[in-house]
Amino acid sequence: MALIECKEICKNFGEKVALDHISLEIPEGKIFGLLGPNGAGKTTLIRIINRITIPNGGEVVFNGHTITQADVEKIGYMPEERGLYRKMEVGDQAMYLAQLKGMSAADAQRELKKWFIKFGIQDWWKKKVEELSKGMAQKVQFITTVVHRPKLLILDEPFSGFDPVNAELIRKEILKLRDDGATIVLSTHNMESVEELCDNIALINKSRLVITGGVEEIRRNYGNNNAELVYSDADGEHTEVIAIRDDNSVLKDILAKPGTIVKSYKELMPRMNDIFIKLVTEGE
Amino acid sequence: MNTHIVSIIIKREYLNRVKKKSFLIVTFVVPVLFAAICVLPSLIMYAAKEEAKTVAVVDASGIVLPYLNDTESAVYADYSAFSPDTVKAKLGELGVDALLSISALNEEKTLTAELFSEKPLGMELTESINDKINDAVEAYRVESYEIEDLDNIMKSIKANVKLTSYTIGEDGKETVSETGVYMIVSMLLGMIIYMFIALFGGMVMSSVIEEKASRVVEVLVSSVKATELMFGKIIGVALVAITQFALWIILAGALTVGATSIFAPKMDAAAMTEMAGMAAPGTPDLTSVATDSEASVIFSTLGNLPLGEILICFFVFFIFGYLLYASLFAAIGSAVENEADTQQLQIPLTIPLLLGFFIALYAFKAPDSAVVFWGSMIPFTSPIVMIARIPFGVATWEIILSAVLLIATFAGCAYVSSKIYKVGILMFGKKSTWKDLWKWLKLK
Repeated sequence: MALIECKEICKNFGEKVALDHISLEIPEGKIFGLLGPNGAGKTTLIRIINRITIPNGGEVVFNGHTITQADVEKIGYMPEERGLYRKMEVGDQAMYLAQLKGMSAADAQRELKKWFIKFGIQDWWKKKVEELSKGMAQKVQFITTVVHRPKLLILDEPFSGFDPVNAELIRKEILKLRDDGATIVLSTHNMESVEELCDNIALINKSRLVITGGVEEIRRNYGNNNAELVYSDADGEHTEVIAIRDDNSVLKDILAKPGTIVKSYKELMPRMNDIFIKLVTEGE
Repeated sequence: MNTHIVSIIIKREYLNRVKKKSFLIVTFVVPVLFAAICVLPSLIMYAAKEEAKTVAVVDASGIVLPYLNDTESAVYADYSAFSPDTVKAKLGELGVDALLSISALNEEKTLTAELFSEKPLGMELTESINDKINDAVEAYRVESYEIEDLDNIMKSIKANVKLTSYTIGEDGKETVSETGVYMIVSMLLGMIIYMFIALFGGMVMSSVIEEKASRVVEVLVSSVKATELMFGKIIGVALVAITQFALWIILAGALTVGATSIFAPKMDAAAMTEMAGMAAPGTPDLTSVATDSEASVIFSTLGNLPLGEILICFFVFFIFGYLLYASLFAAIGSAVENEADTQQLQIPLTIPLLLGFFIALYAFKAPDSAVVFWGSMIPFTSPIVMIARIPFGVATWEIILSAVLLIATFAGCAYVSSKIYKVGILMFGKKSTWKDLWKWLKLK
């Protein structure tokens, strides 16, 4: 079932069209990758789902009904342009943001303390944000995004600004939140993390939806239906790309030779990166 | 609007400011500075007393010298035995600062006087010398009429009438009024409103810029509506202003009580009775007032000011004047990412604000003149000008009309500002102009 359904979303800023009839479904409990080059309209679409921006046409359906301001409490959003009040204490700030998401002060305090301990930052509660390093501030930012247990988590370029250790920490948390039932929208340029994390994607280019669907399915569709076979025989080790056919005749021939040992056989799927570049440049 | 959410925003905006050290500092330092500004001019005057100058006098007329009595600022030496040119050439050698050369009297019973010095003399000294010469010539002329006792006759002719003004209330009651008191109260009220609007309007703008520059704003508007954020901020800062004002009133009250308890024992009995009389305002005894001292007139005038009206109007015009400007300042803040970029955008706001301030400062000269009247009606200057007019009495319909215009303009500007703000806060990385703001306003 889809947690979010975008129906014919249109948005223009004056003359400039930012989104042109975008329709897509974000399945519940999965990680959804929102891809596209800079200026394609990803952030605008995210802001529309968040109700920060109101669309000129179309509607967003959340959990079966047209989205309302009350649903915003069930969303956690970490924008690409993110930050915290520099002069405010970390604890006060986290409490403030949690309460704006509808948590009571007591709930917020209890949940925040848990997260702070989990991330090993409980000593920072009374520190001012300007005293923190950028990586530290990003941890606090992540906590404030997820503390109210949102059904939908929207992360715009979540890994930018994190060092590899913290990026790994966040990646694990994202997967854990998904396993706990949250739906996650990931907007990123990092295609490796798309392949690794996303179940479904949508690619937006020049205000239009280019493709949407399951990651595996898309990769398969854009592949040449080839497989890579690594084997060794009396002459040594060989790597061969062979077409996947119904009769598997090439494969049979190789296997028929005496002394052949198959080291590996895997379907060759195009990298998301290549598909991305192909689709975006085709549109030009 | 979600009132619960707005109250959370107001609370943060309020506490975050009131808890700051700078808030406490401003609360206590500003009254001290204000007092210093009041006392400083007389202190400077006192400190600016020069050493006495020595003036050599060559008096060919023979009538001026007796009038040149030594003062704190000048000592006169008689050099009439010498020619002016000799003295002039040797000023330094003789150890004198200036030469005053006075010609002989001519047929029209007048004379010419010239003052020479190496360094220019102060205005005060030259004026005092000039006055003394005139006194001498006048006395000489009176004398020359050879009328017995003309001297005293002339003195008795000099009039010294004191004009006492009364204002007639709607109930026909006459109250004594001292224009000077009205003037000071009027200027003070205008200044306070101007200061508060500029200070706290600016605070709203900085706070909007801070949220945008620190990039916290997009996180915030993903939880609350942009308009809720904007009004939460404006109201939060308004409460800070009211708190600050209340603290200043309390502080001023404490200082006054303190000062009175120190100086009161030195007051004579009469002054005490005057003070007591002032404590019961609204019932001025006309006969006693007319003969009372100046202090009593001041107190009586203060007592007769429409205090209730002033307070209500101050509150209404301050609140809505602040709201009007604060919402516009918020819109401007939303368009930039650092304070330096606001200068060009701010001009259309600072000009009417300053204009209002200057009209208010001169409102006492002609409180019912066209400039002042229109200044107190046009919403962008009216909060400052109207409050400056009120001590002089303003027709109720004018006050109500002005307030209604102000509130309506605020409503319009709040709508416009929130539209600009909504778009502006999410525009990162470019410097915006008025043209951009206009474009955002038209966006749907």
